[in-house]
Amino acid sequence: MARPEAKLRELKPAELRHEVGARRDLVVTLNRRSEPRLIAYGDDFMLEKLPAGTRVIYPPPPLESLPDPDTAIRYALLHPLNADPLFAQLNPNMRVTIAIDDISLPLPPMRRPDLRERLLNQVLQTLADYGVDDVHLVIATALHRRMTESEIRRMVGERAFKDFWPDRLYNFDGENRAELVMLGKTDHNEEVWLSRRAAESDLLIYLNINLVPMDGGHKSVAVGLAPYQSLRHHHNPATLRECHSYMDPARSALHTSANRMGRLVNQQLNVFSIETAVNNQMYGGMLDFLHKNEDRFSDWDRMRLKGFRWTLGSVSHQLRREMLNRYAAPYGMTGVWAGETETVHRQALGRVFQQYSVPVKGQSDVLILGVPFICPYNVNSIMNPVLVQCTGLGYLFNMFRNKPLVKPGGTVIICHPLRDEFHPEHHPSYIEFFHRCLAETTDAMELEKRFEAEFARNPTYIHMYRYGHAYHGVHPFYMWYWGEPARQHCGRVIAAGCEEPEVAARLGWEAADTLDEAIAMATSALGRSATITYLHLPPLVIADVE
Amino acid sequence: MSVHRVKQRSGRDAARAAAFYDLDGTLAGLNLVNAAIYLLGNLGEWNGRLRYLAGLVVRIPALYRAEQHDRHLLNVVLFEVFKGVSRDRLVTLGEEYCDRMLMKHLYPQAVEMIEANRSAGLEPVLVTGSPDFIVEPLATRLGIKEFAANRLIYSRGHATGRLREPVMAGDHKAAWCVAYARANRLELEACWGYADSYYDLPFLAGLGHPVAVNPDRRLSATARSRQWPIIRFAKAAEGRTLAGMDRTAVEAWVERRLNGAARS
Repeated sequence: MARPEAKLRELKPAELRHEVGARRDLVVTLNRRSEPRLIAYGDDFMLEKLPAGTRVIYPPPPLESLPDPDTAIRYALLHPLNADPLFAQLNPNMRVTIAIDDISLPLPPMRRPDLRERLLNQVLQTLADYGVDDVHLVIATALHRRMTESEIRRMVGERAFKDFWPDRLYNFDGENRAELVMLGKTDHNEEVWLSRRAAESDLLIYLNINLVPMDGGHKSVAVGLAPYQSLRHHHNPATLRECHSYMDPARSALHTSANRMGRLVNQQLNVFSIETAVNNQMYGGMLDFLHKNEDRFSDWDRMRLKGFRWTLGSVSHQLRREMLNRYAAPYGMTGVWAGETETVHRQALGRVFQQYSVPVKGQSDVLILGVPFICPYNVNSIMNPVLVQCTGLGYLFNMFRNKPLVKPGGTVIICHPLRDEFHPEHHPSYIEFFHRCLAETTDAMELEKRFEAEFARNPTYIHMYRYGHAYHGVHPFYMWYWGEPARQHCGRVIAAGCEEPEVAARLGWEAADTLDEAIAMATSALGRSATITYLHLPPLVIADVE
Repeated sequence: MSVHRVKQRSGRDAARAAAFYDLDGTLAGLNLVNAAIYLLGNLGEWNGRLRYLAGLVVRIPALYRAEQHDRHLLNVVLFEVFKGVSRDRLVTLGEEYCDRMLMKHLYPQAVEMIEANRSAGLEPVLVTGSPDFIVEPLATRLGIKEFAANRLIYSRGHATGRLREPVMAGDHKAAWCVAYARANRLELEACWGYADSYYDLPFLAGLGHPVAVNPDRRLSATARSRQWPIIRFAKAAEGRTLAGMDRTAVEAWVERRLNGAARS
């Protein structure tokens, strides 16, 4: 009998829904004899015996990566979709800007060479071959923190770094008024602002990594190179409440808005998109047991798990965080496409869903989510409570298509220690947001109305964003809004293993010392009839809920 | 899920607020000793200068001890060297020092911050241990109406070398801010404070929004543990300082800076 992995390799995006059998064993119902399950718990892991009947959804095994990524990239540049090949668009007198996804992707950061280095080397070589000298590389940070010199060097590689840093390789600055230009308004009256350098270029090339389906497409340029003036049109509670879900771009109001803006950009600019997809080989080598079903652990897997947990348990949590931050994921590229934005993105989305999608029957009363040590906004930093909220209710809750994994009014259990700790240089406005704004209200609409403009215009936070390495003053609001669909959908949220109950209370959550206690609290009203689902992460999985 | 009930402030929602700035090390890359050396080194005749500078040199051990333990004492010891200098001369030298030295060593980003805060409704106030004859011309150039600085006591037009109370250092800075806020009906919770030194801890801790600027080692550690923002102002590039600018020129310069500089 063929292994499920072998069947997966044969899947085509359009046929995915007909191939349920290939992923049948990724949804497991536990019984009394089932092994304890590993659950991400901040910078540690829980190993918990879950109640019999709990449904566990496992991520699909990694798709096979392309054997020769450089050749695949060359092929994509020579055979673009719905566009002329890159070389045919070049002349020596033109001005070219290359925008690049920032450090928020992929997670954890991938082993060197980063995909962006591979893409850049090919693109820069083509530009050099055709005599194009006026080239700038812009890290599309939008309102994220500026990447540090060493982070950029690691991402783009030595060649691009030596030739372009710092004058022609730099972070986007959404607060430098001279560097921004308004392209116009969409038919929904959304102002479209963009990097002036990009807007005044003869050719804008965007280099993207699709880790999850919410990445890429028009979101790359229209969000990555845009300032607050543009982002406020879709990064707001009203728009995010209309997203069902973020991982289903066709049903996400956020993506619909970004698409409107992106189409306006593409009408005025010559945009050449290059999108890549990666497999979910998040942990490899000695840590590959993290991808496995615990019931199928070998003795070697159990030994490694014990060693891993012993190591994590023997060091301070600062050192543990440092060790985990240094981990680089062995992601492999599963596809690369170039050309017109929407055509390219359709191809990339198909491959991403092929990697993550698992058909699941029905919703449950309780959903258990383990929040790991990393999210897009704390690479080389601290996972603060606002980011835990964003990761749990924003990203992990949204790992579905069609319907959420939990019933309306159901309970989400978030496993995380929830410590009151922040990185003062990366997340300064988060500290004030958490201690001042959330103390007054957790209502996203009210937060937007009363505080957002003040934080967005705060000179100290703007200074730290422009000259330091801080997220923009308005960023914690966006993180809070990100959890809005989940807050609207769920009845309650319980933080399991919470070390500081007052932090949970500030987020509007209940606190439980242990996961058992959290499950007892969640199921107290429903008794034994309560249905429980555990979304087993890492790596990532998207549930197609029937 | 439910959300917290919204607590509305009584009365006006937006509180009146100010931004309090320390000067030495915070807005400018200079300190009190730089000012003292400049002033004493330009006092007039060579023999006079030498006498005053010698007075400063003999106080170095005392100044060092004071710097290690008590900023209040440092101010008292340092200002003793001005004993006997005429008020007119100090005022003239203060203007000159401001023009030639202070404006040159002001951090451009600090001036931007003052203006941006002003635009956001935070009235700037200088709270510094520098003497008033230096601070006043600087405040004029920066368009700052309110300041608290150290003031010498004069007798028949000449400095006695003693300082008037309150001496602007440590706790006294904090007390002055509280009194100022009360007099002007400001909410300290809504006020911002910018300082660089551990000795400014009481001053910063008394305000709702303390910010450590180019902090020394001890303030940096404190700011981290208390989760205060830490910002760094960079020195002006050679030939791009604010030296010699009056208020109008400073305003025009700020306008250009805030509108940003496009990349070539």
